[in-house]
Amino acid sequence: MDFTRSPATTFVLNALVALCALILAFPLVWIVMMSLKTQTDVMAWPPTFVFTPTLENFRVLFDVAQAGATSYGTIKVDFLSPIINSVVIALGSVVVSLIVGVPAGYVLARRDIPFKEDIAFFILGFRFAPVLLVVIPLFSLFQSMGLYDTYVGMVWVYQVITLPMIVWLTRSYVEDIPKDIEEAAAIDGAKPVRVVLHIVLPLLKTGLIGASLLVFLLAWHNFALGLMLSSTKAPVTVALLKLLNPGVQFYPVMAAGLVVTMIVPVILIVVGQRHLERGLTFGAVK
Amino acid sequence: MKGGSLLLPFLTTMENFMMTPHLSKAVMPVGTDTLADRVSSAGKSDSQTERTVDWLSLVVIAPAVLILLGFLLLFFYGVYQSLTDLRLGRPIVRFVGFANYTALMKTTDFWNNIRVTVTYAVCAVLLQALLGLAIAKLFASGVLLARLLRPIILLPLVLPPMSVALMWTTMMNPQSGILNYLLSLVKLGPFSWISDPATALLSVILIDVWTYTPFFTLIIFAGLQGITDDLREAARINGAKAWATFTNIELPLIAPYILIAGVFRVIESLNQFDIIFGTTQGGPGNSTAALSVQAYFTAFQNLTFGRGAALMVVNWLIVLIGAFLMVKAWQAVRSRVS
Repeated sequence: MDFTRSPATTFVLNALVALCALILAFPLVWIVMMSLKTQTDVMAWPPTFVFTPTLENFRVLFDVAQAGATSYGTIKVDFLSPIINSVVIALGSVVVSLIVGVPAGYVLARRDIPFKEDIAFFILGFRFAPVLLVVIPLFSLFQSMGLYDTYVGMVWVYQVITLPMIVWLTRSYVEDIPKDIEEAAAIDGAKPVRVVLHIVLPLLKTGLIGASLLVFLLAWHNFALGLMLSSTKAPVTVALLKLLNPGVQFYPVMAAGLVVTMIVPVILIVVGQRHLERGLTFGAVK
Repeated sequence: MKGGSLLLPFLTTMENFMMTPHLSKAVMPVGTDTLADRVSSAGKSDSQTERTVDWLSLVVIAPAVLILLGFLLLFFYGVYQSLTDLRLGRPIVRFVGFANYTALMKTTDFWNNIRVTVTYAVCAVLLQALLGLAIAKLFASGVLLARLLRPIILLPLVLPPMSVALMWTTMMNPQSGILNYLLSLVKLGPFSWISDPATALLSVILIDVWTYTPFFTLIIFAGLQGITDDLREAARINGAKAWATFTNIELPLIAPYILIAGVFRVIESLNQFDIIFGTTQGGPGNSTAALSVQAYFTAFQNLTFGRGAALMVVNWLIVLIGAFLMVKAWQAVRSRVS
């Protein structure tokens, strides 16, 4: 297709792509800059693009003992425990979803069970679940069961998001594996469980790593569940909102908090790129 | 393109639906597959297994089903609560029938909530589909920068929606925000963005558009990849202009992709909570109070849980209607194409 294009058209297309990329990337660049500014720099008009960077905002976020005495006056933030909460809840959700969901996904792809399509369908339906309608009854239930504001309760309720995802991804990955491999092994006399453990699981590994990264990301994104069902165990997204106190707008500190929550997904992409790509080309390459 | 789509919830599964015809039946949230379809797909999936109950498989799948059934029960319990006058901290709960709903319908706030919810979803999804299509076409042109910068499309989708909301809140600040400064360079503004009831809803919609346009872009891009160059070449040889090739050949072929992306986005934006809560919390006044946000305040601030549940049931019904319409449109377009 390229050979029919004039240099002028190519230039315009490149320029338009650059504009798109700028619109998508600029807000992040700006927030990173903001997180390295002082409060005075942030409030300056016109906004400054050149400034002396400071790590003060990140110190305020994590230095619990000293936080009271900053140039911003009294601001007491504990940003470390929300981060730990988020990591624990997200990791816990991924692990539970993998344990429960991968076998289920395999069965839905390969075994003949009654109402199979209906079950698959029911599980997919949770993508469209009105989360708030589940949370309202959960709130009183959690308090009477002592699950409110506990890791166990949070990991359990996060399954409404992570479990359907893992089941469906597993199912689609298993369907990508040629059936012949399993059938050959079965003819050789291997028990079904052995076939799954020694033949299917190794083939699924890359796909499952990719799926886990994706589901971790989904759990990391969540805000509503943590807002309503936890207080001290609240995830980082909830802590973030608290930084935006309407009375005193410590924008630079909040920008630092934003950078922290956004850096985790970005790191996940960089670290998991290889796995993600392999997990995805897996279907095409077989 | 493949490299990115795993980052999206459900996109990968959806690509699979598009590719494997027997599965595409399963994606439809409404029961349209006939018995014959099911029998044939069941016949395909079992190999040499005999017709006895596969207990091991049932045991293996049970935990996942039980966990999700628990949530389903909670959902029904929530619907029941919307028929009671449940208040937090008050032990007496009475069944009041549809009193919550009739009381809601008498308030102007309620109709405003519905208006905001629907306006938000319709405007956001329409803008996203249009922009997503344009950007997908742009990146599918394959020019140098398009190949280099493609990963950037993913960026808004991997960020937590709450972070996105707060990021734009700082940028939309009328006094110190960068947005007003950049617009003042081209002699526009200043705008009040989310601080003015007149522009708040539009501003929040724009944030949604920035965040989720890439979702459309990725799916439409995948659709464009599926169209062979031969087809375009044939059209060109037959004398079709670029625009005519696009509207007569490409657009009909990618329309199902646009609509399936639309199904997911309509559902999600009708349910949108994080972006509105992070920017305006429904204000100023009630100019951005979508049903979900209103339900949160009704339940968790006024502690009238029954009333809050009723609002969420209404929200859920609107989601059902929206999803139904989109799926119907998708099916219509798909059957026309194939």
